[in-house]
Amino acid sequence: MFKKLVDNSALKSPWIYHINTGSCNGCDIELVAVLTPRYDAERFGFRLAGTPRHADIVVVSGPITSQSKERLIRTLAQVPEPKCVVSLGSCPRSGNVFKGSYSVEGPLEKYVHVDVSVAGCTPKPEAIMEGLYKAAQILKEKREAMKK
Amino acid sequence: MFNVLNIVLLLVFVLIFPGALFTSAVGLWLAGVDRKVLARMQHRIGPPIRQPLYDFLKLMGKETIIPHAANKTVYLGAPIVGFVSLAMIMLFIPVGGFVAVSGSADLVVILYLITIPGVALIVGGSSSGSPYAGIGISREMVTMMAYELPFVLVLLAVARKVGGANLVFSMESIAAWQAANGSLLFHWSMIPAAIAMLLVIPAEVGTQPFDVAEAETEICEGPLVEYSGAPLGLFKLNTAMKMFVMTGLFTALFMGGLRTGIVVLDVVIFVVICTVLTILSMTTIHAVTARLKIEHLFKFYWTFVAGMALLSLVLVWFGL
Repeated sequence: MFKKLVDNSALKSPWIYHINTGSCNGCDIELVAVLTPRYDAERFGFRLAGTPRHADIVVVSGPITSQSKERLIRTLAQVPEPKCVVSLGSCPRSGNVFKGSYSVEGPLEKYVHVDVSVAGCTPKPEAIMEGLYKAAQILKEKREAMKK
Repeated sequence: MFNVLNIVLLLVFVLIFPGALFTSAVGLWLAGVDRKVLARMQHRIGPPIRQPLYDFLKLMGKETIIPHAANKTVYLGAPIVGFVSLAMIMLFIPVGGFVAVSGSADLVVILYLITIPGVALIVGGSSSGSPYAGIGISREMVTMMAYELPFVLVLLAVARKVGGANLVFSMESIAAWQAANGSLLFHWSMIPAAIAMLLVIPAEVGTQPFDVAEAETEICEGPLVEYSGAPLGLFKLNTAMKMFVMTGLFTALFMGGLRTGIVVLDVVIFVVICTVLTILSMTTIHAVTARLKIEHLFKFYWTFVAGMALLSLVLVWFGL
């Protein structure tokens, strides 16, 4: 019974950590808009965590530049299980307008399994909300698959 | 036979009623109300009131990562020490009319026990070996020094008011005095002390304008930066319990002696007063202010808040 309570809580309190890997700041602004009074993601329990150790969902924006690649891999390794990775915007999916640049080493799938991918340049806050909620559901499934 | 009964009763006190279970349940309720009311003040819908419970349960189910640089025993033991000391404090605070343990110097014991969760945070943070935690614990230490002075002055003012020339530090005597002479809040010489105490609460708990030690946007939650999983959940629970302990202490010191005679009703009234105090002293200030710098926090507490407490102490010393 205790395990079931914990499993349900995984859906109800997903904490987000946001990594910018050379994004143009457009997606970052839209992610913050999701937390503002108009969209208020906190009603689903979403909260912006200050450190990857507290995070459940890692949101990656930007085309992954050579400078940020190593930091991205190290940050993702610091997140405790169960965790979800969400790619935000078109850049982590395909490189977007930065594709082919000598300093871009995307896409994100090369380095980590992406659970939810929100497309758009930039995605609307409604789309981000839905993507994050889907990630929370995947988080719950991952939590249920854990042993204790 | 009598001894066994006493031990069982003491265990119930420690584990269930005024101790661990009751304190954490009411603490999580207060933390939930705080978040909900804050959201409504900012024109948001906000999380459900049981959100802190979800957060706590979720953290129980997360992986606990222990950094290489950390001292394992201290790192995992610190949140437990904080939790135990917070559960102990509630034994000394009269909940409604109910006192679990009473002695002649309860207030001094409470004063010592209440610093332990802060010290646990400092010890745990410093054992994690992160530079962010280093900055966080230095700020936490300064914060503790800042609010400790006005806090002690408030307690002295209360002791002098109740006991006259010989100071009284017993919670039971304070409650009895208030039942006979009216709550301390309604004696005009104690009002500055009450305001000082209301301002000590958010610094002790570490909510918005005074959360310099755990500033998540600048130093990654300070001492908690490396914590994950169950120990982090316990630290979050400690913060919620501190809310109840501090508001409960205020209620017992300044609004004691409000009795109906029925214990259950008294406890409910006690919790309601604590909820109102949480909204008054933590949520409202949180909603209208931004985080202070550490030197501003220190200056504010050692001038304005300590001044208020001192004013009360001087008035009481002249027999007003």
